[in-house]
Parts: sequence; structure tokens; C-alpha cells
Amino acid sequence: MLEIVTRLLFATLDAAPALVFAALGAVLSERAGVVAVGIEGMMRVGAFCAAVAALTVPTPLAVVGGMLAGAALAAVHAYLCIRWRSDQVVSGIALNLVALAGGTFLLETHYGPNGTPPIQQLTAWDWPALSSVPLLGALSGHAAPTYLALALPFLLQALLTRTPLGLRLRAVGDKPHAVATLGLSVPALRWGAVVGGGLLAGLGGAVLSTTVLDRFEQHTPAGLGFMALAAMVFGRWTPLGAFLAAAFFAFGNALRIGLASSAPGLLELVPQGVLLALPYVLTLLVLTLQGQRSRAPAALGVPYEQESR
Amino acid sequence: MSLDIHAGELLAVVGENGAGKSSLMNVLYGLYHPDSGEVSVEGRPERFRSPRDAIDRGIGMVHQHFMLVPTLTVAENVVLGREPTRWGRLDMERAVREVADTCARFGFTLDPRARVDALTVGSQQKVEIVKALHRGARVLVLDEPTAVLTPQEADELARVMKDLVRAGRTVVLISHKLKEVLGVADRIAVMRRGRLVTEVRAADTTADQLAALMVGDAPRAATDEPAPVAQAPGEVLVEAKALHALGDNHCPALRGVDLTVRAGEVVGIAGVDGNGQRELAEVLTGLRRLTSGGGTLLGGPLARLTPAVARERGVGHVPEDRLRRAVVKALSVEENVALGRHTKPPFAKGPWIDFAGRRERTRELLAAYDVRPPEPTLVLQALSGGNQQKVVVARELDAKPRLLVVVQPTRGLDIGAVAQVHARLREARRQGTGVVLVSLDLEEVLALADRVYVLFEGRVTGEFTRPDYDERELGRRMLGAERAHG
Amino acid sequence: MGERARQALPSVLSVLLSLVVCWLLIALTRDADGFTTATAAYLQMLWGGIGDWPTFLGGSPVAVLTRPIGEAAMKAALLTLTGLSVAVAFKVGLFNIGAQGQMLLGALAAAVVGSHVELPALLHIPAALLGAALAGAAWAGIAAALRLYRGVHEVISTIMLNWVALRLVDNWLVVGPLRGVAQAGASITGTAEIHASAALPRLLGDVSRLNLGFPLAMLAAVAVWLWLERTRTGFETRAVGLGDEAARAAGIPVARRAGLAMALAGALAGSAGAVLVLGTEGRYPGTLGAPYGFDGIAISLIGNNHPLGVALAALFFGAIRAGGTRMQLLDVHKSFPELIQGLALLFVAGRLIWLSVLRRRRAPAPVLSAPTAPTPEAPHA
Repeated sequence: MLEIVTRLLFATLDAAPALVFAALGAVLSERAGVVAVGIEGMMRVGAFCAAVAALTVPTPLAVVGGMLAGAALAAVHAYLCIRWRSDQVVSGIALNLVALAGGTFLLETHYGPNGTPPIQQLTAWDWPALSSVPLLGALSGHAAPTYLALALPFLLQALLTRTPLGLRLRAVGDKPHAVATLGLSVPALRWGAVVGGGLLAGLGGAVLSTTVLDRFEQHTPAGLGFMALAAMVFGRWTPLGAFLAAAFFAFGNALRIGLASSAPGLLELVPQGVLLALPYVLTLLVLTLQGQRSRAPAALGVPYEQESR
Repeated sequence: MSLDIHAGELLAVVGENGAGKSSLMNVLYGLYHPDSGEVSVEGRPERFRSPRDAIDRGIGMVHQHFMLVPTLTVAENVVLGREPTRWGRLDMERAVREVADTCARFGFTLDPRARVDALTVGSQQKVEIVKALHRGARVLVLDEPTAVLTPQEADELARVMKDLVRAGRTVVLISHKLKEVLGVADRIAVMRRGRLVTEVRAADTTADQLAALMVGDAPRAATDEPAPVAQAPGEVLVEAKALHALGDNHCPALRGVDLTVRAGEVVGIAGVDGNGQRELAEVLTGLRRLTSGGGTLLGGPLARLTPAVARERGVGHVPEDRLRRAVVKALSVEENVALGRHTKPPFAKGPWIDFAGRRERTRELLAAYDVRPPEPTLVLQALSGGNQQKVVVARELDAKPRLLVVVQPTRGLDIGAVAQVHARLREARRQGTGVVLVSLDLEEVLALADRVYVLFEGRVTGEFTRPDYDERELGRRMLGAERAHG
Repeated sequence: MGERARQALPSVLSVLLSLVVCWLLIALTRDADGFTTATAAYLQMLWGGIGDWPTFLGGSPVAVLTRPIGEAAMKAALLTLTGLSVAVAFKVGLFNIGAQGQMLLGALAAAVVGSHVELPALLHIPAALLGAALAGAAWAGIAAALRLYRGVHEVISTIMLNWVALRLVDNWLVVGPLRGVAQAGASITGTAEIHASAALPRLLGDVSRLNLGFPLAMLAAVAVWLWLERTRTGFETRAVGLGDEAARAAGIPVARRAGLAMALAGALAGSAGAVLVLGTEGRYPGTLGAPYGFDGIAISLIGNNHPLGVALAALFFGAIRAGGTRMQLLDVHKSFPELIQGLALLFVAGRLIWLSVLRRRRAPAPVLSAPTAPTPEAPHA
């Protein structure tokens, strides 16, 4: 039994980082008041660029490349939404479509339909001291992103709640005009948050290509960005909440995969499709129960217009 | 224009809406940039690129609409932008201490750890003041600070302002409420249409003189017109009993209002802003649910009234917030003229829109009400505010309402438009419409109304009938004095 | 320039700019002779969309025209319906990101009615279409109800509902309870084949896949336009979308208008699913794949949320996407037109940039700010 749980935890820790990073990126952007529907596209770009870069440079460097690519797409979003006050949802959707079609086009043009050639995955670190301990053993044998995904939520939570920058970011998401009258730059804060969110989303995508897989595949990230949005909402727009939600979703997924192989009979009763739909159903349920009190930043999605002339 | 502000004085800047008071102060605060001219502080010319520059030079501003982040605490709001830190981390303990210190120094009672959205409006305003003081403001600009306050809170604020001046700070009070200004200010600057008209010492002037200065030579539409000719009141249109309703903040806004409106009379509703007038108008037009009480309105029950039913019974409505409630600014003028009556001829034929009929009726109305430009197809937001309001009044009166509820019908309009709106209301009254006029402008109410109800904190504290209008007594009632003296 | 033309200008310029940028993308990623290749690829895309006129004029059978046109029309029909779905929701002030999910359920409903019910063709097709429309409307209705009664923002709820629909349909219903019975030992994926009586008739016989779905979609565009512009209820719907408080004060039943418009949006997206299943697929396949629901967002916005603009945009992108297959001749992947579409949407999103550029070029006349698309307000959800 303990062994099964350990294995489940291991699978969760292996699969969760991408979702966690993307969810954190979404939280960062939305807490500053900019809708993060484009997270899926940023992940895709990050995944693609990381995989392509890893063909020529060391994989860790390629991951950084993926992050930068995600940030670049986020910068387009920021330019349209902050500088030109475009509709944030439209811009996000457009970026998703561009990333989807553009990724396919470049992949097919240069590498063919089966994805990029295989690359060197990020090295998994073994902790011999841990691996023999029950439960804790699940912590051993992951690549760096897993450990980062365990630490980053706490760091981001601390950033948002315990630092001046975090205070300003939260304020800009709730009432940008108040921030402006104090002489702080609303655009600068939002740019930072959106591009930071893009870095994290790009990291999430890069992690998909370099640890979960060993290449960029046609459908990457296959909706994981939208699940990250669900995790963000489920986690009430806080880094720790989003992390827990993402971890919960990833664990549920690991459980489902585990059941599919070990206890197929059970899946006769509860079909896979129902389990796969569960994260989204739960998120809807949470929203329904909370109604308008769901803690979304007050100025989310509202373009900031300075009244100065 | 130029204006000097002396250290340690309480200067009031008065003027009508649109006279340029707020723009002036936004320039001073670095939010707007002047096309020409300059701001000097202590003799040194300054170029404020942003509020930060103004803050650095010791200028603080309390905006009419509070600039507080509702989800943050008092202390967080106050230190935002210049947060105390320890090793890069926000030092909340110190922030709380500092804010508590500032509060103590100026005699405010605020809990630094309370969340702002849990505070009363009066307390939120104090947070704004503390915010400015905490930044070392020596000059404090307050923009229409009492508009949202209860009279008690306004009195409290007057005391605070005087204390601040005594403590060596300079206070600039922007207002259009003359009595309040006379009560606190040392010096009064009067603005009219973007110019400084004059400066007077508060001790040397009266409200009447100030009013004359504010309005200028132009004849004031409301006061120059003859008083309405008495006419026999007609049938009872509204008989409301013990109306109770909640405000937007879910607090009781109406607390037992009785009200009668007859055909052919103008009933004025007077009171300080935020004492339930708006909610009363919304109840009469079906926009706000009653929590208890009722009565009849145009032959039907008042309880559970909806906007559609109200219109069906013959209620017309000129709401206060024109762009939100009265018109859809992105629709054309003719579509706005049809709004609310779009299911009836000449605006509809069966389920279809009657384009020709709508166009023709719109043209007639635009001509009759002198709307410029008289273009039915123009997007409504292309019209000036005054012309938009004319469209609204034209639409509502064209429906031949039996009861017309008008809220602040002339706010922000130029004098010509004001005169026209007033004439139209009088015309409606002559033709037997019952008019309920809600206005914060007491002069407007007294000029038009046959009868006036004074509202204070959701109750009727006085009822006056023309010609027995005693302005002083009215004023007392508006501040909550009950019928009997004392 | 007329007001209508001015309104359309940013969209037209966006599409043109996107075509140029994508042309450069091909040209610059080819080692040799990129510009020739890019131009040739665009020509192939054109012939693949509007028919291969050079070959036809050179004496080939008419099928070289009708086949591509049929493909283009089918894609245009689907894009029109999903685009209308998004546009109708926009008109009432809601952002329907959920056309995809609504379309999936519509497709499933059409497949079930088409295969499990026996009716004469005259009734079977309407029944299947109606089933699809109702399924889509119900799915959209969930989002509308959540918005109206619980204040859940429709952007979030429709995104979630898309995934719920996808998982439930593709990963459960189609592979489980509703899976078609294998015939003659061969296992099939997806639901059972629909009866011939439910299939949308081909309009040109064997020379093209053009079927009844195309005229139906065009009819839908005209009908939605007439409804919005010419009827009382359409006027009320637009008024709610542009100013719901003013609409309420005018006695318009705001919640009913919003709910009905959202249901209509779902019905249109559901019909797209039906046209896909009854017209070309013949059943709900293992997975529906094509994200026409998401494309609908692009089509609606490029069409300026105007029903006829949507139809135009759908015709254009239907044609070039049908032509995408022929670009493969020049080693350009068939998804290329989707990139053109995505970039066009991105450029449309920068509508204010276009307006400021256009304004600067024109005389400094006081430009009245044109009524922009109803921008859904912040997700309070």
C-alpha cells in the first residue's frame, strides 16, 4: 500500500511542475489585473523553443530559451493590452491561435509531423539517502524543475504578500487608479507581471519538452494551459492555492493513470472521461458556490486609462 | 489663471460644476499637465511630471472618489509606494506603528490593521487624509470632500481641517457648497468657466455675495423665471406609505418615507446628497425593490414594481446618471429615442422595427427640442451633454407620462439648456403631469416645486408648501432637525 | 468613406497585413527562391479555395472547380455558424469562448439522432439539426445561468465547459455508451453511422461535397442579421449588450435577453456540429479534432461582430483554409491558413492601433469614437 502511494506521489511530482509553473504565471499576471487566457500559447511557444534550442545547446540553457520565448509572447500581450488597451481576452485567444498554428507550421516545415528529433532530457537527481525511505522516496529521482516547483509557490506567495513589490502588484490589480495617484507607474507594474507570467508559462512549456517528453510534440501542451487557469481560479488567485490545486489535479491524473493499469474494473464504474473532466467540473462548482465572492482581482480585464492629457 | 496659496491657511476654491476647480487641482497634483503656465512651490517653479513629483514637494490630494485599494488594510494603503522594508521584506510592524503614530499626531482614530472595505465612508476619507499626511504633505487638497459624508461626518471633517491648519499645514478645500465653505475657510477663491474671478476673505462675505460671484452676470435660469402659477392639484397619482429600501451598499437607504404626488404638481425632493433621494426615485420607477411598505402608484401597487410595469402605467424617468441609465451611448440618436417605447407605434410594427416612423418622430423631436445637430442617425455619444439630456427629456415627455420622475436634470448643463429643461418641466406640469423633482440644488427645487419634501437619512424630516418656503428652516431639516425646534 | 466602410477598415487591413507577413514567413524560411515559392504557394491556396480556374480553362472537367469550391463552402459554413455563435453572444455583451464545447455536444446530438432514430428524410434532417441546436443551447445555457444567477464570469465558465464537454464526449460517451457497434468484426471508432435519411443532401451530386449545410449557414447569417437589426427583440438584445443598466431602466427584460441570446449562440454552435456530422463526417468520429469553435472567435472579431461581416470573413477563411491542402504541393503545411487567421485576429485585437494610424493620416477632424465592439467587462468570477 505504502509502495503504491509512494509511486503515485512520484508520478505526481514528475508530472506536476509544468502545470504548477503555468498556474503561477497565470496568478502573477491576473493579480496585476491582466487576463491570462494566453497562457496556453505561451506554454506552447516555450515548449517549442526549448526543444529546438536543446538540439544545439545544453538542455538547461534551452529551458532558459523556452522561458524567454514565453516572455516574448507575453510581451506582445502586454503591448496590446497595456499600451493599446486591447481586449485582454481577445488578445490572449489570438496568441493561442498564433502559437498553435505557428508551432504546427514551423514543426512541419522543419521536422515533420512526429515532433522534433529527440533531445537530451534534463538530468534527474537521485537522492540515495531518500530513495529507500517510504513516502519520502517519492522525492528522489526528479529533475530540477520538480524541486523548483515545490519551492517557487512559497517564494511567489512571499513576494506577493510580504514585499513592497507584491503589495504594489496586488494594489494595481484591485485599483490601479489608487496606485497611479501615489506616483507609481501602473503600466510598468503590469508589464512586469505579464512578462513575469510569460517567463513562468514558458518555463512550464519548456519543462514539458525537456522532462516529461524528450521533444516537442504536435499537440503540446494539449490544454494544460487552460487547466492552469482552472488551478488559478480553484486556488483563489493565490500562488499557494494555485499550487495546491495544480498538485491536486496532477495527483488525480496520476491516480487515474494508475487505476487504468492496475484496476481497470474500477474504471468501468467511473469512466476515464468523467475523471478527466473532474478538474474543470470542480472549478465550475467552486465558482458556483462562491459566486461573486471568488476573490478575483477587482480590476481584472479592465484596461487602465490614465486620465492625464 | 493664477492663484496663490499661502502657508498655514485654509483656502477654499468655489465654483459651479464645470468651472474648472478639479482640473486646476489635478494640474497642481501632476495628474494633468498644463498647456501653458507653471506651478511654483515656495517660489521655485516646478514641473510635475507625475503625482510623485507633487508628493515629493509636499502636496497631498484627497480625491472626490477615493483612491484606496479596498482589499488592503489601512496601513497598507497608507504606506503603498513608500513601504518600510527590512532586508527587502515589507516591514508591516513598522508600517502599522508609523501609521498609528501619524493618526495619533493628528487625532484620528483608525485601526491600521482594518481592511479598508470594512470602514465607513467617513473613515475611508480619514485614511485618505492620513495617506497624504504620512507622505509629508504640507499642502492638502480636498476635492469636494463632503459630497459623500453624512452631516455629522462633515462636521467632523471641518474640525479636522481646522486642526490641520492649526498644526501648520495648508488646506485647500474645493467645494460648491457655500455654507460649508464659509464655516471653515480663511480665504475664498471663486472660479467661473476656467478663470479665477476673485478672492475674498471669508469673514468679509456672505453666501449671497458668493453665489452671485460664482454665477456671474449671466442670469440664473432658475431664479429669474417667475414662480409657477398656482393651479388646483389634481387626482392623487402616488400614495406611498412607509417605504423602506436598501441602498447599493446594502444598508437601509429609505426608512419609512410617506409621499403623495398629485397630477399637475411638481413635488421637490430636497436633501444633502446620499440621504435616500436617489433610492426614492429608483423605487418610484421600479428600479429598486422595496423591503417593506408600499401604497399605490398610478392605480397599481407600488410593491414589486418593475421598470417595464412602471413605464406601462405611465411613469417617465429622467435619471441622474445619464450615460448609465438613460441612454445607450453607442446606439444612434433615433435608437435612443425609441428606447423604452420601442415596442409601440410609431417605433414598431408588430415584431418589426418601424424605421420610417422612428425616423420621422425623431426628426420632429429633435427640431422641437432644438437638439444640435439634428441628425437622427448620429451616434448618441457624439452629442454634447446638454444635447444628450435634451434627447432624454424629449423622449420621456413625448411618451406623455402621467408621472415624471426627474433626478438632477440640469447637472452639468449650460445655462441655455437649463432654461429649456426647466421650461419643459413646467409645461408638463401645466398639462397635468405629476412631476417628482430630485435635486441637490436647493434653488432649483424651490424655483420649480409646488411642494417640497426634505429627506434626511432616509426619512422625511420636513414638508413645505409654496409659498411657505423658509430656506433656513429647510436647511435645518436637511441637516436632520425634526419638526419641532431643538 | 461611408461609416460602414470605416468600421470594416481595421479588419480588412488586418487580414491584408497578415497575408503579407505570412507570405514573408514562407519567403524568408526558404533557402532558395523564397519569394517565388511563397507566391506560388499563395496561388495554390487561391486555386484550392475558389477552384482551379487555369486548369479548367485549359480544358479540365468542371470538377476542378466544384471540388475546391465545395470544400471551401463546407469550411465556410462551419466557420459562419461558430462565428455567428460568438457574434450573437457579443451583441448581448457576453464573450462566448465556449462555442467549441457547444459544437461538440451539437455534433454528438446530431450523430445520436441521426443514427438512433428512424424518420423520413424530410423530418430526420430537421430533427437532427434541432437536437444539435438544443444540445448546444443547453450547454451554453449553463454558462448563462451561472453568469446571471451566480455572477460567474462567462469567459471562465465557458473555458471550463469546453473541457468538460471534450472529456465527457471524446473520452467517455463516444468510446463508451454511445460507441457504434462494430460491423462484421471490424471495430470502428466513434458513434454509429447516421442513416442516409439524416445526411445533408449533396447539392452538386458527385462532383463536390457541397451540401445543404452551406445554404443553411448563409441563411442563418442573414436571419441573425435581420433579427438583430430589424426586430424589436433584436434591438433589445443590442441595447442590453451596449448598456445593460439603461436597458433595464427602459423596461427591457435584461436577464431574459441575455439568456436567450446565449442560448441562440449555443444553438448556432451546436448546428455547426450538426453540419459537420450530417454533412461530411457521417457520424461522430473518435475525436472531432477541428477547433471550429475557437476559430469562431477569430471569425466573429475579424467580421467585426456583424452577422454579414462574419459570413464574409468565414467565406474568405473557408476558401483559404480549403486551399491550404494544396499548399502542401510546395511543402507548406496545410495548417498555414490557420496561422494567417490567427495573426489577422492578433492584428484586429490591436484595433486601437489601426484607428490611431488611420486618424493620423486623415485630417485632424474631430473623430467621433466609433461604437466599438462591446467589450466584456472584467471577469468578476
